[in-house]
Amino acid sequence: MSDKPVRVYQCEDNISGVLSAVYEAGISGYGHKYIKIQPLAANEIYELELFTEFVRVESSDEKVESVLDAVRNKISNRAYSFVMCAAVSTYSDRGDAIYQFLTYGFSMGDKVCDAIQIPWVKRAFEIRRRVFNEAHFFREFIRFREVQKDPALLVATIEPEHHILPIIMDHFSDRFAGEWFIILDKGHGEAAFHQKNGDWEVRILTTEEEKMLAELGEQREEYVELWKTFFKHIAIPDRKNEKLQRNMLPLHYRKNLTEFIEE
Amino acid sequence: MIFQENATLQQKIAILADAAKYDVACTSSGVERKSREGYLGNSFASGICHSFAADGRCISLLKILFTNECIYNCKYCVNRVSNDVPRATFTPDEVCTLTVEFYRRNYIEGLFLSSGIVDTPDYTMELICQALRKLRTEYRFHGYVHCKAIPGASSDLVEEAGWYADRMSVNLELPTEQGLRNLAPNKTRKKILTPMRQIQNGMAESRELLGMKGGNQSAYWHTQKRLGRALPGQTGKAVQELESAKAGNAEAGKAVEKMESAKADSPREERMIEKTGIAENKKNGSEERAKNTAGGIILPSGNGVGTGLAQWNRIDTSRGFVPAGQSTQMIVGASGESDYEIMAVTEALYQRFDLKRVFYSAFVNVNQDNALPMVEGQPLRRREHRLYQADFLLRYYGYQASELLSEERPFFNTCLDPKCDWALGHLEQFPVEVMTASYDALLRVPGIGAKSASRIVKARRTGTLDYQALKGMGVVMKRAIYFIICNGKKMYDFLKIDEDYITRNLLENDKNVMESFGEKVTYKQLTLFDDFQFGN
Repeated sequence: MSDKPVRVYQCEDNISGVLSAVYEAGISGYGHKYIKIQPLAANEIYELELFTEFVRVESSDEKVESVLDAVRNKISNRAYSFVMCAAVSTYSDRGDAIYQFLTYGFSMGDKVCDAIQIPWVKRAFEIRRRVFNEAHFFREFIRFREVQKDPALLVATIEPEHHILPIIMDHFSDRFAGEWFIILDKGHGEAAFHQKNGDWEVRILTTEEEKMLAELGEQREEYVELWKTFFKHIAIPDRKNEKLQRNMLPLHYRKNLTEFIEE
Repeated sequence: MIFQENATLQQKIAILADAAKYDVACTSSGVERKSREGYLGNSFASGICHSFAADGRCISLLKILFTNECIYNCKYCVNRVSNDVPRATFTPDEVCTLTVEFYRRNYIEGLFLSSGIVDTPDYTMELICQALRKLRTEYRFHGYVHCKAIPGASSDLVEEAGWYADRMSVNLELPTEQGLRNLAPNKTRKKILTPMRQIQNGMAESRELLGMKGGNQSAYWHTQKRLGRALPGQTGKAVQELESAKAGNAEAGKAVEKMESAKADSPREERMIEKTGIAENKKNGSEERAKNTAGGIILPSGNGVGTGLAQWNRIDTSRGFVPAGQSTQMIVGASGESDYEIMAVTEALYQRFDLKRVFYSAFVNVNQDNALPMVEGQPLRRREHRLYQADFLLRYYGYQASELLSEERPFFNTCLDPKCDWALGHLEQFPVEVMTASYDALLRVPGIGAKSASRIVKARRTGTLDYQALKGMGVVMKRAIYFIICNGKKMYDFLKIDEDYITRNLLENDKNVMESFGEKVTYKQLTLFDDFQFGN
């Protein structure tokens, strides 16, 4: 090992920030063993380390596009999905995972996605699996309420760990193509808006908007009671098994599930 | 009988969900369908669970009976005519509205509609068809629908339902014909298997005419294909081969021979299948289909009445005919059959009826009928669990029922899962070298499943693997380490390939599994098993 200092690329704590940092690190030619990427979350304090140099990265759309184009054109769509899943995750090492995954990817090509014996590839693989798993949980455990009729509007609230709205919107925009609906991601202050037979977008909300949507999503309606009745009666009393129920549907996901909320 | 004449919708849901809850299958898998303009919903290939009830079972579909009135008196059934329970009946509109409104709120993937038998099987099937017709055409529901085919209903009605449904199921009810006679006197094997065969033939035709949209093949089928095993009379093509062989085509005649020989490995197994009542023709060779004797039954042949799809012109065929395939279920522990008998039936159903899934339901004595055994829930549920494990081994891993159990050893080991149990009996095939073993050899290693096996096969093409890497691929090391080597090395030097040694260690590891069945496993019990069951 040489005594070259570790260089930390500090960036905004969002998709664009992380990918911009990957871009800067990539063109620096500094040597990937000495590079780290650190997304800086607001309101958190980071200690300065000795023998480390810090570089502030400015986010830009050009940098993001440049990274993503390179991944798609020089590696593969599969690698692109590894990168995007890590980018929407909230793990603090996601920038490192993307950067190190890509250093292998640019030399190995698409095969990199299978090479999970390489520690950083394994990490990227793991992040992707977790993000997909969480997205799938929110295809399952998400409940809409009809908060308005003529035109009908459906609203749901979720609190995921990662920014999975774009992933699940692929699913719900097809399933409920003919509905107006909104999914509020409470923890991240974002929401997805879907227009009847039209497009959808994910937007960062103001505090007032978030509060308004959260209240809307708790509105009472007639089908809640019918669903709770069904939920209660479909269980076989002789087979009661709360442990199994908890394994399959962890308490953490029940927070916004109609059938578990007392009203 | 208590009739709820003016039951509210909420009361009806309570009564008819209560009446439907003993039905096991609630899967919404098997068909990938995108949305359609002007319709509500789509379908996700692997299915989606939306909640888990207090018994830990998944809730995927709105599982209800159309009515819980029933003219039959099956001894095990909560809805039998002699039971004094509240009765209710939905209207078709109620079923449709509930399905659509629950679906829009993402409570469910779709509808699972079954029914008690009102008046006649035909009348009941017509009620189911009415509800589904409305749901698909008026309410324009494009999500998942599972419905029952009522044994004894006319083939026209069964076909119509098949065009609306994604999956259909006919309950086998009990594994043996004798059991059926004793406990479900109004049903016969023949009445159960006839619609099952009709649906199978319809699916084969739909696949041929509509391609992928007509429905995909089962996991069992894909596994057999991967292993190069012949499947008797499953696909439309195989049926054709059979027909042309009858006409004297020598080339195809060989194929038939192959298929016939795949039907039963030994006379003993053939006997077993006969006993279960699902053998279709008793002897191979030049004889015409042997006419029915004691155990067997006659099934409608390819050109018989009631098979083949007849409603192409009258119905919207865009979804295909039963595209997610058919399933069945049987009650375990009510009529004294062995696990071996159950697995033989299961295998025969996969091979001869092209089923997607076979479900097992641990018997719950809801009626306290004296024709039925008094059972303890815990051991029976563990038995059910073992059957499901073995079922997965058949469908995804390529095991045959005869490898797992035999007439001499007709029950699964209660302490070890069927795969570990098999491996311990075949230690001569281990250890397996992870870097070079075939996919199918990897699949037979305890602790390696379909996902990890395929990850291993892909990863080892890109470089050398070690134990750390295997862990990252999802291999359950505490089970696998006894059965694998990686680059010629054992994970720990002290591991030995010895039945007693491995058994003891596996059982130690599986304490948690046992505890999840509510059992306390003590060291004493383990040594007891060691001595009496596994010791040499």
